[in-house]
Amino acid sequence: MSGSIALALRLLAALALYGFLGWALTFMYREVRRQSVVLSNRRVPGISIMVKQAGGATSMRYFSQAEITVGRDPGCDIPLLDETVSARHAHLTYHHGQWWLEDLTSTNGTKLNDLRITTPTVITSGDEIRCGSIGLSISLSENVVIEPTQRIKKT
Amino acid sequence: MNDQTQSRLLQWSAVFLTLQSIILTISPAVRERTWDVDYRLSHWIGLLAWGVLTFLAHRALTRYLPERDPYLFPAAAILSGWGMLAIWRLDENFGARQALWFGISIILFILALRYLKNLLFLKNYKYLFLFGGLLITTLTLVFGTNPLGLGPRLWLGCCGVYFQPSEPLKILLVIYLASYLADRANIRLLSFPLLIPTLMVTSLALLLLVVQRDLGTASIFVFIFTIFLFIASGKRRILIGTGFFLLLALLIGYFQIAIIHTRVVGWLNPWDDPTGNSYQIVQSLLAVASGGTIGRGLGIGSPSLVPVAISDFIFAAIAEETGLVGTLGLIAIIWVILARGLITSLRAADIFRRYLAAGVVAYLGIQSLLIIGGNIRLLPLTGVTLPFVSYGGSSLLTSFTALFLLLVISNIEDDEPSPISNPRPYSVLAAMFALGFAACGLTLAWWSIYRAPDLLTRTDNPRRAIADRYVSRGELVDKNNQPISITTGESGSYIREYLYPDLAPIIGYTHPVFGQAGLEASLDEYLRGLQGNPSSMILWNQMIYGTPPPGLDVRLSIDLSLQREVDQQLGSRHGAVVLLNAETGEVLVMASHPTFDPNKLSEEGEFLLQDKDSPLLNRASQGLYPIGSAVLPLIAAQFGNESPTEQSLRVFYEELGFYQAPLTDMPVTSDKPGVNTEMLRVSPLQISIAASALSNGGILPTPRIATAVNTGEQGWVVFPALEQPKLVLQAEAANEAAISSVEDGNPYWGHSGVGQLGDSVVTWALAGTLPDWQGAPLVLVVALEENDLNTAERIRNAIMNEVLNQ
Repeated sequence: MSGSIALALRLLAALALYGFLGWALTFMYREVRRQSVVLSNRRVPGISIMVKQAGGATSMRYFSQAEITVGRDPGCDIPLLDETVSARHAHLTYHHGQWWLEDLTSTNGTKLNDLRITTPTVITSGDEIRCGSIGLSISLSENVVIEPTQRIKKT
Repeated sequence: MNDQTQSRLLQWSAVFLTLQSIILTISPAVRERTWDVDYRLSHWIGLLAWGVLTFLAHRALTRYLPERDPYLFPAAAILSGWGMLAIWRLDENFGARQALWFGISIILFILALRYLKNLLFLKNYKYLFLFGGLLITTLTLVFGTNPLGLGPRLWLGCCGVYFQPSEPLKILLVIYLASYLADRANIRLLSFPLLIPTLMVTSLALLLLVVQRDLGTASIFVFIFTIFLFIASGKRRILIGTGFFLLLALLIGYFQIAIIHTRVVGWLNPWDDPTGNSYQIVQSLLAVASGGTIGRGLGIGSPSLVPVAISDFIFAAIAEETGLVGTLGLIAIIWVILARGLITSLRAADIFRRYLAAGVVAYLGIQSLLIIGGNIRLLPLTGVTLPFVSYGGSSLLTSFTALFLLLVISNIEDDEPSPISNPRPYSVLAAMFALGFAACGLTLAWWSIYRAPDLLTRTDNPRRAIADRYVSRGELVDKNNQPISITTGESGSYIREYLYPDLAPIIGYTHPVFGQAGLEASLDEYLRGLQGNPSSMILWNQMIYGTPPPGLDVRLSIDLSLQREVDQQLGSRHGAVVLLNAETGEVLVMASHPTFDPNKLSEEGEFLLQDKDSPLLNRASQGLYPIGSAVLPLIAAQFGNESPTEQSLRVFYEELGFYQAPLTDMPVTSDKPGVNTEMLRVSPLQISIAASALSNGGILPTPRIATAVNTGEQGWVVFPALEQPKLVLQAEAANEAAISSVEDGNPYWGHSGVGQLGDSVVTWALAGTLPDWQGAPLVLVVALEENDLNTAERIRNAIMNEVLNQ
């Protein structure tokens, strides 16, 4: 009799142990879900970039993603066919509610409004970027107003 | 949300630990199978302390670290509570001490949360901490002691409190390496800045190994350093290089350093030396095997059989009582801590904290893997503690320091982690730990399920002898149901009692130290209840008690009243007597003198084993004597007056079964096949089978001593015959030979002779009923270890008269 009770308790204890693990896994799963929902709710304000080739030709590009790379490599988001541009020259990233420009240790450097940058730098509308001999001018969409770093409401 | 997750997980831990405590409380009742026992209650104090302290720590965490990782603390809490109960179950004193240490750890933990949330002071005073730690460790080289009195002297002690400095030294090393490497980003291999910590770590490890013989801590230092270098540099060749270096060190250590040699040999071939160097690991594996799938239940197994079960082998102790189900859960919880720790490291706000978290994870992971792997023979044994679980104040404090560091680092308000230059080491580290623990899980399943049946029947498994104390063993009774061997006492203290000690060489004994012999050994499966009971009943008992069901009584063909007569006749002479039913082969009397008293085996066993007269030997079925002229009437019946050639005589002896051990249910021996007929030795039992031909019309019976088993539900079930009787002589020739062997008008035939080979002398005296005997045909063989025809014949005639007049 005592043996059967103990057996039942042993099975219950095993259930409780796996209950602990099950809950831990469930919570972790929910955390991933929540995180993905938060990130998908964060909208990136669109950015328009006008590329000015050395010859004077210009072209306009519009992006709505959070990371844009500039370089001679055709895989870059803005491929620049110019000898003075490195393969992966610079990239523009959106985080902390700002667009940031960062030089990817390019040979000829990246200039923001004629000043050479060495650290990630915030950019705004109207800024002029120079990668080698190619110029890029930035205009940000004003119409999207969001609060990107807001915490999700505690549930 | 964080607080809710943490609180829910803590509730599950509390439910789990409470259920374990209830099991521990009622465990004495399960062991002794009665409700009238002393229940175990003291551990509830420990559980209560655990509950209060955990609640306080939970409150402090919600208050001071609102954004911490919510999984780390509950995982640590359930592990330390589980460890505390496991220790309490093994030893109440150590359990209470562990509860005290848990209390001290939690209070310091809460104070640290209150005052030491900013970890930068660690970075600023890193050399102070490191040299403090080194200084104390150096002190143990000089003043070190071991609380147990034996073994490596790794503790500093005073006034009953012992402290192991190498435990916190691991954390201090992690802090030092984290801040040293964080100050030197993009470190290059083979550069000067790396030389200082490399030299320091290797010399420290060597010092620990050579002076203190602490293999575990030394290897943990090397592993932690390697992981740090790998994370800081991102170069995989570091891992390959260290692997190579460790292999080399292992090889050198194998030949040069005694402790490494012992451990490696014990790891590779544990079965060669199961009582010496491999004693610990073999006992640990037996505990794992005994746990099986769901374990024996807390308090119901026998984990205290494993040496140092409270610290180094706590994992084996837990495996025995919670089984594969429990150990896999335990490994999964450790894995949760490591995984959340690595996530914490990746989310850390700066490189110092990132390295610190990764180092803490490396320390916890490596140490857990080393000791779990060592317990289950996946890795060579290294005597380190299982973090959070093992007994020990230093170990528990260090584990909680590690937990504190991880929790503080995980408390990030700003969710923008510092950028990472090379993320690969983190995924490699996670994969390494995942693989390591998966290997542990598979090895556990291998020992506890696949290999368990083999392991548990090993003679060095003390659980069989323990089960015998709690489960009643079947009785041995004679043909009239007179008891011969019985089990007396109550559950928990059952002992075997032998009511007729003169039968000892035949009945044998079952003893926790000397093992089993005689019929107690050959009929063990029935007496232990493993045969003859329904298999569902055996399985059920195994599941709820971890023991076989109550044993079954076995009836022997021995007739105690005749046996008593024979023993009296034989007296103090050395020799053997067999009285056989010539038709059925049932052994009515079997005597072997000198004899011994199996009730006094505990005191006299060692002496009996050395005794030159070999009282433990069953002379009747295992004693081999020169055949001499013992079977002359049979030879005359087969060959007439011609003397047979060596070749034809050997064929005849083979027919009579002299060259092979008789097929029967007791231990028997025979001479080697192919021995010259002149040189042949036979046992009295073999002679009695052959002589049966004269009283049974030329037919040899198959001897047997166990006739029936009492299965309870179906009553006495008779054992089937082992083999068909065999015709060796024509009936007329046999009858004629019997009648012509009648001496002096006796109502039975008789024959006697002497066999001699070198120093070995035996006097054979045979007798048997005549063909016209109305009762069961009987055959008697008397073998005396001396040359004395008169005495042998006198004993034979006295017995025969007694038997035939009954």
